[in-house]
Amino acid sequence: MLDRRLVKSFDFPLLGVTLALLLLGLLVVYSATQARDLELYGDRFYHLLRQALAAGIGLLALAAVVNVDYGLFERLARPLYLCNLALLVLVLVVGKTVSHSQSWLHLGALGSFQPSELAKILVILTLAKQLQEGEDRPNFTQFLLALVHVGIPMILILLQPDLGTAMVFVGILFGMLFVYGIPNRYLLGAILLAVVLSPFLYFFVLADYQRARLMVLINPYSDPVKSGYNVIQSMIAIGSGRLFGKGLFSGTQTQLNFVPEHHTDFIFSVVGEEFGFLGGLFLLGAYFFILWRGLQIIELARDEYGQLVAAGVVSMLLFHVLINVGMTLGIMPVTGIPLPLISYGGSSLIANLVGIGLLLNIYLRRQKIIF
Amino acid sequence: MREVAHLTVKRRIAVLFLGAAAAVLFLWLRLIYLQVFLNPSLTGYALDHRLRPIMVDARRGTIYDRHSQELAVSVSADAVYAVPAEVKNPQETAAVLSKILDLEYGQVLARLTKRSAAEWIKKRLTPEEARAIREAALPGIGLVENPQRFYPNGTLAAQVLGIAGIDNQGLEGLEYQYDRYLRGIPGRVMAERDAAGREIPGGLRQYVPPREGYDLVLTIDRVIQYVAERELRRAMTETKARKGVLIVMDPRTGEILALANEPSYDPNRYNDFPVENRRNYAVTDLYEPGSTFKVITAAAALEERLVTPGRRFYDPGYIVVGGRRIRCWKAGGHGSQNFVEATENSCNVAFATLGLELGGERFYKYIKAFGFGEKTGLDFPGEAVGQVHPPDKMTTVGWANIGFGQGISVTPLQLLTALSAVANDGLLMRPYLVREIRERSGKVIERREPQPLRQVISREAARELRRILRSVVVNGSGRRAEVPGYRAAGKTGTAQIAEGGIYSRTKVVASFAGFAPFDEPVVAILVALYEPQTPVTYGGVLAAPVFQAVLGDVMAYLKVPPRLETPPPPGRGPHGEELAVVPNARSLFRAEAEQVVTKAKLRFRFTGHGQVVIDQTPKPGAQVPVGTLVLLHTADEGTLGEDIVP
Repeated sequence: MLDRRLVKSFDFPLLGVTLALLLLGLLVVYSATQARDLELYGDRFYHLLRQALAAGIGLLALAAVVNVDYGLFERLARPLYLCNLALLVLVLVVGKTVSHSQSWLHLGALGSFQPSELAKILVILTLAKQLQEGEDRPNFTQFLLALVHVGIPMILILLQPDLGTAMVFVGILFGMLFVYGIPNRYLLGAILLAVVLSPFLYFFVLADYQRARLMVLINPYSDPVKSGYNVIQSMIAIGSGRLFGKGLFSGTQTQLNFVPEHHTDFIFSVVGEEFGFLGGLFLLGAYFFILWRGLQIIELARDEYGQLVAAGVVSMLLFHVLINVGMTLGIMPVTGIPLPLISYGGSSLIANLVGIGLLLNIYLRRQKIIF
Repeated sequence: MREVAHLTVKRRIAVLFLGAAAAVLFLWLRLIYLQVFLNPSLTGYALDHRLRPIMVDARRGTIYDRHSQELAVSVSADAVYAVPAEVKNPQETAAVLSKILDLEYGQVLARLTKRSAAEWIKKRLTPEEARAIREAALPGIGLVENPQRFYPNGTLAAQVLGIAGIDNQGLEGLEYQYDRYLRGIPGRVMAERDAAGREIPGGLRQYVPPREGYDLVLTIDRVIQYVAERELRRAMTETKARKGVLIVMDPRTGEILALANEPSYDPNRYNDFPVENRRNYAVTDLYEPGSTFKVITAAAALEERLVTPGRRFYDPGYIVVGGRRIRCWKAGGHGSQNFVEATENSCNVAFATLGLELGGERFYKYIKAFGFGEKTGLDFPGEAVGQVHPPDKMTTVGWANIGFGQGISVTPLQLLTALSAVANDGLLMRPYLVREIRERSGKVIERREPQPLRQVISREAARELRRILRSVVVNGSGRRAEVPGYRAAGKTGTAQIAEGGIYSRTKVVASFAGFAPFDEPVVAILVALYEPQTPVTYGGVLAAPVFQAVLGDVMAYLKVPPRLETPPPPGRGPHGEELAVVPNARSLFRAEAEQVVTKAKLRFRFTGHGQVVIDQTPKPGAQVPVGTLVLLHTADEGTLGEDIVP
């Protein structure tokens, strides 16, 4: 149980902002789905209830994560990593295919579950351990080991295929290695290598639809009814929101389903249309607050493991926000990654709440003296 | 914890912080850009996506002449459209439609199966077609009234009016220039739809009636326009000219009363005519004005007091400028003459002299002041500017040439506008075509008033010049422009057309520019015939009669009271002999000249080998004893060009 003394040093602002985002997310998901739910399921709360349920589970998970000392995860790193790989393999074997990706594990009455979302957290927890175990001076061997450590689950996710989520691992890896203190030349070298390989990747690895998504980033109107459609509709929705937005349930682009996936990956367009510029400003401000707290927590962590875990969570959130919001604003390629705490989708919501829980945990236990 | 890394970690956290801040700032900026700067267009997109309206064209405004006679009207015609989502059996429907409407089956089917809210199948249906469609009652196929343009007078003022296309959009001429007034605002049948194209229950569904276009009232007078076109067409037939232009302007206001271009076309079926017939040459095309431009030279010289009516010029038949010998059009020259006579003779040497005396700076100033080298500002699309070289880009010989109208390109409209300034006591008016823009109810939206641009020459100089130009008609080459009682004044012109830098011997523009009555002008008229195919191509012979015919009808139509000038009866000579007044035989054919001279109780003798009298001795108006011999000099074309003095 939580110690009384601990309560005093709990990061309430971080939790408060998280809860506020969670509520905003439920509201926006409801706004985005209620009309169609009524039509399709005869129940305007269909998506809302499911998301609320996930939020409940996520908050329980958060509480659970905060409750134990994060040192536990450090000790369980190896089994957690293997468990992660097992889940990712399992999903490739018996997973359910949605939108061309075999990413879902069916859990019977409990619904479905996306192991790749949990994998982000597990990779953070286990990579931190691996790095922390390393030698005094970060060296190339460690760099390579880290690549392999993240590479294996990443490849499994690429096989689903889910490029967007796989890219998140790159963000997490870079963020953690950076905080770990890997010499910059390794990171720059990796980036350079990626740039050099990019034409090869573009022509031989990416699928046609992925190439098209990159092309529409340059000019969405090159293919306005197919690849560019989402982005154009999203930009129209956001742009028509103006300063104060059209009001909840009044975003015409949203309510009439002009923006596909608007309750999941393109949910920021709903925020932009219905809450306007101020809503977008607030949302981005809230994320910035979380990231800022996260960075402080890295600094305050009692040990390197905590630092690295916090760095992983911060990197994950930053990457998600930048790519997801950037995509709805037409400045990032369309990749199916959700907006943390807002997008519809239970696995992602729970994973992000667990991530916040880790931050809270690390903050809570920043001073060894307390124990 | 590794001590080594501690500082590094702190630094790196700061870097990460900056990175996060930059990322969020970047997104904010993009958000501002989308929602604040791009907003208006995106809001419109959003509405368009949702409403997918079916447009109903507005009734296009009527174009009236100055007396509210219709020149262009919109008549309603049925149009058939399809709502593809509601079409039950596309193949069958397409078969029926293609049969009734005489369209290609595949084309119709393509439209019926197109993924759009509504598609036009055919516009401008005949009443029979409309009835058949109505009776077929096909699901997803509907009829709406869609107004179409009709020009009740056919070719009348065709190039001025221009054309409007099948979608109610102005394409050329005034239809294009004033499209935004004429067009109106289309109405729409709107049904709010969701992304899948389904109508939204309880959504917006309404008919927004179109707002009718505004009507235009032109300065054009239908009767004068008709007269102008009739006379121009007649001249075209007689002279076999390639094209012709005739403009009638009110010099006091700048209003264009008629503007005719031949050959013309019928805007109701413009596709049946060559595209170039649609050009309004009078406004959009340039030519070298030739002798009609001498009016401008004379105006500048009079204003600058370089010349008085009595100043004498001697024309040996050429003038040497800068090592070049510029020849007068009359072989052998006009000899000694005063300025009035030089104008009557249209003497190139005298006007080249004036061009030189004015000099580049001054001459250029007047040419620009008269509006050459810039648009007149007529409310018509595609006006040409013309070429006037500034003094520093011209040689001396150039100014001598411009003195008699060569080496400068102008539009017919520019020339008439400048001449009108002379008629209007030196005040240059901006020409215009639309007097009023008004609602259908008659409520005036905008009224155009005459717009004075600038005083180019003094009133006195203008009046002096008008008397001289009157003399051109009475005693000079403009004889054929005279209409008894209306006291016309003007200037003839026979300009060679430059082809590849060389003046053509056979291709000319025969023109006459004038106004009447000379002391109080109410109309100014320019006639230009391009490349007439007659043996004689003088402007005084070909264009002046057209001016005369138009002027006669226009003055009678405008009810300008004629004022007949009764010449003083010839008196008696010092020895009591009977005297006769020498008539003006210039620009007359031999037979006509013979008749005129004989009637004045004088004898005659022709010199030269031409058909037309270009000069005579004694001069017209002189009183000589009855039976005196009048020498009539004939020629069919002027000597041309310039030689290099060896």
